[in-house]
Amino acid sequence: MPKFVLMLPHARDRYTNIPEAEFMDLMTDYIGWVEEMSAQGKYLSGEKLNADAGKIVTNKSGSIEVHDGPFAEVAEILGGYMVISAEDYDEAVEIARAHPHMKHNETIIIRQTDPAADEE
Amino acid sequence: MTDTARIHRLLDETVRRERGWLISSLVARLGPGQLDLAQDVAQDAIVKALSTWPYKGVPDNPRAWLRRVAGNAAIDRLRRSVKELGLEDTWDMTAPSEDVITPSLSDPELDLMVLCCDPALALHDQLSLALKTVCGFTAAETSALLLLSEDALSQRLARSKRHLRTLSGDLARFPTRFALKQRLPLLLRIIYLMFAWGYLPRRGSALIREDLCREAIRLSEGLMLHAPETAPGHHALHALLLLQFARSPSRIDDQGRIVTLDQQDRTKWDQDMIRDGVTHLHAAQSSLDLTRYHFEAGIAALHARSATWEDTDWNSIARLYELLSGHAPSLAVLVNWAVAMIMRDEVDEAEKLLDQVSSNKAAQTFTGYHLARHRLAETRGNATTAKAALAQARSCVNSDAVDQFLAEQWQLYETGPIR
Repeated sequence: MPKFVLMLPHARDRYTNIPEAEFMDLMTDYIGWVEEMSAQGKYLSGEKLNADAGKIVTNKSGSIEVHDGPFAEVAEILGGYMVISAEDYDEAVEIARAHPHMKHNETIIIRQTDPAADEE
Repeated sequence: MTDTARIHRLLDETVRRERGWLISSLVARLGPGQLDLAQDVAQDAIVKALSTWPYKGVPDNPRAWLRRVAGNAAIDRLRRSVKELGLEDTWDMTAPSEDVITPSLSDPELDLMVLCCDPALALHDQLSLALKTVCGFTAAETSALLLLSEDALSQRLARSKRHLRTLSGDLARFPTRFALKQRLPLLLRIIYLMFAWGYLPRRGSALIREDLCREAIRLSEGLMLHAPETAPGHHALHALLLLQFARSPSRIDDQGRIVTLDQQDRTKWDQDMIRDGVTHLHAAQSSLDLTRYHFEAGIAALHARSATWEDTDWNSIARLYELLSGHAPSLAVLVNWAVAMIMRDEVDEAEKLLDQVSSNKAAQTFTGYHLARHRLAETRGNATTAKAALAQARSCVNSDAVDQFLAEQWQLYETGPIR
């Protein structure tokens, strides 16, 4: 079964000063979705990304440079990603449609992983 | 129960129960001066839980997870100040095993509760502090319970914490028998409020928050075991908690809907618990010093021991409400008294009382008041007035379950009774 990565960006200040009750409601939706998808065998894994700037490592003609991420300048940050299995992009899109992220935020970016990587 | 409701409840129970435990055990270890740190660390752990569990699923043991994360955070934050505080440089989270609850004042939550009831603080400061830090209520719930604005609440909390910071030494951590005795009335009040909110949450999705009720009973038992003798008022409160909680299994149907007392399956009531409650009620009568808990427990006992709804002894209940209103003439007490009057066919007297009550501004936003009006009009066969009262009840802030119940009652007017 092909795998798809759902990337879940959100506005930088989306969760700043959010009342706990609202946060709890939101997370209930997310957890419920993950549990449901797991029960169907479609949720494979996921990681919450730390809300810091991150680092960028670049090779400038042979010398490695390390910089802080662009976090401070961007409006949206990547909150985390989830890996699901689906027949094809159509199914992956259907799954994303029902994702609570679409209710509580605006965007999901879907990318398929290269199936060749999974070949024995 | 739907999946969402189940998860919501799990989060709610875990988060609430653990917040109080984490804060209390940290304070027990570090002293009241570290209350702020304890709260920060507990809060951070909760936020971490809520933001990572969606990706990883809820851990098998959410409590252990929270305790570990909070423990690690506390170690990190303390490492800097450990030397100056004179503490060991590791901080072990010695959690009691899940189900073994040892109710004694070695219970950090009880310790912290006693500490919060410092007589040097004003009554509302004590209550705010205890409800917010020990019982794990949110700021919104605490302010609703105490009828305070959230701003006023946070000012009170800040003031109380400043005061606690000035306390130090063993006295602050291990209250003396004298302190316990002196603070008992307030401790009982806190337990009462905690139970009351659990038994009938005024907002949110749950009809009954069993975790809160159980915790209130547990704290009451712990206090009883520790005190050299149990005060009559404490016996009465404990009786009240047991007699009420014994009936909880029949208060909700399979779909999570409210079942009113007249419709409840009384075979589901916990008879052992009712017997215990009655025993405590007898013990409470050892002195003439009667508290409001005596009357409330008496009313609960009459309901709990009545074999059927029709057998309910409304005369005695009305009399107890009358006595109770002399002790605690609160809106809810007066309204319930009026309902008891209606039940024994004193409709005019009930109306008079409700008219009196209506001058209290808070009556207009109190669901129970409008429901009493509703019952009064129904008894008189006045459908238009009854319907209007029901509409008023629906416009109050209610828990989701109560809202649903009211909507179903409303539906009866639209479609006519089903039976």
